[in-house]
Amino acid sequence: MIRKVVYIMLGLKIKLVDESEEPSKTTASLSTEKRSDQWSLLLVSVAENLDRRAFNQLFNHFAPLLKSFAQASRHEGWFPGLSEDLVQEVMIKVWQKAASYNPEKASATTWIYTVARNCRIDMLRRKSNTQHLPLENEDFWHEADEDTPVSLMRQKRSEDKVQSCLARLPKEQDEVLRKVYLEGKSHAEASNELGLPLGTVKSRVRLALQKMQILVAPEFRDEVL
Amino acid sequence: MSTVNHHPESSMLVDFSAGNLAIAPSICVSAHLHFCNQCRNELLRLDQVGSKLMSEVELTEVGDHLFDSVITQIDQLPDSSAPAVSSTSDMADGRYPLLVNKLINGSEAAPTWRRMSASVDVAQVTTGQKEYEVALHKICAGGKTPRHNHNGQEFTVVLKGSFSDEHAVYKEGDFLFCEPGDIHQPMGAQNGECICLSALAAPIKLSNPFGFLMNPWLRINPM
Repeated sequence: MIRKVVYIMLGLKIKLVDESEEPSKTTASLSTEKRSDQWSLLLVSVAENLDRRAFNQLFNHFAPLLKSFAQASRHEGWFPGLSEDLVQEVMIKVWQKAASYNPEKASATTWIYTVARNCRIDMLRRKSNTQHLPLENEDFWHEADEDTPVSLMRQKRSEDKVQSCLARLPKEQDEVLRKVYLEGKSHAEASNELGLPLGTVKSRVRLALQKMQILVAPEFRDEVL
Repeated sequence: MSTVNHHPESSMLVDFSAGNLAIAPSICVSAHLHFCNQCRNELLRLDQVGSKLMSEVELTEVGDHLFDSVITQIDQLPDSSAPAVSSTSDMADGRYPLLVNKLINGSEAAPTWRRMSASVDVAQVTTGQKEYEVALHKICAGGKTPRHNHNGQEFTVVLKGSFSDEHAVYKEGDFLFCEPGDIHQPMGAQNGECICLSALAAPIKLSNPFGFLMNPWLRINPM
């Protein structure tokens, strides 16, 4: 609770700076922002100090989440016995890749979600008889060098928005989002399973994303981002 | 500010963020992201949706042995030194997305340009899947391509230069998705060659009654 209040105050302070100062100064003030949630700090410590105690704490928090995430998968060829394999693979990747984690860009939870998603795809591809692919799954999410990180304040705001909206989504939108993200069904597969036209599935997702303010009308995009 | 004007539709980005998009379309979406700040930002937030959904699942207990097993494996990890890039094809370009250069350099058989029509060259790349043919297309300056219909989905990203069709002009980074039934006739820009990456799901037919005589797109040869 207290942490939340601090975040709000921090958010307001940064907002004032963000809107009143010249862009160059804003950039300077943003670069000194630090993400201070527990998991992100631990992850940074793993990266900087090869901190095994921090890694253990991360493991204790994320392993049960990752196992549930793995068990939620309804991919063809996936079975529950793979769940602990996925947990291990993800946590090893977390250790290996911690140095590439950028706390200005994403929370530890979001970053670990992307690692888990990629490991899940890798495991499925290894299982299917995909032939020689000269790419690793991470290549698909390779960041461009000139990438400009969104300010931490904006990200925090958007994360809060996502969280509060998710909790209040109408059942039918929540159902489709879960199918897509947790069960791993594409929009097309979800439409088959739910016996709904593809357009209906797409529009349910779109409505949910609009509520979370993830989709911005194209004409406003440049202003908002 | 990004000058990219044509983007994948949101459901495609969602499937990409959730990890549900097939390899070949994923390659095209990823190539687009390289050029498009706006979609990168959207993807960041879509990933937040995935992570929030993941954090809200009911926890499942993991065995006590699991942490020790992970630590044992970490201790056995080889020193990670970046593997050298074996060959550098002159088809690669520092301005292309990393994954496109990797595809070009990492293909089992080095991709080579072959003439497809008077104004279009094509070079297939290996992607280890059979659902789509993934290839680079080079349209020469001012080159006209045959007017064609699509029998299967086609994803295209402009890597260099620009081309136009009846609907719009497509520049570097622009993403184009054609569905079965879409007919168009791409034309290379006058001021230079245009190079595109495309993933094509099924053969496409020429709408010109005599077009079959010169429709190289009719074949699909996934590698």
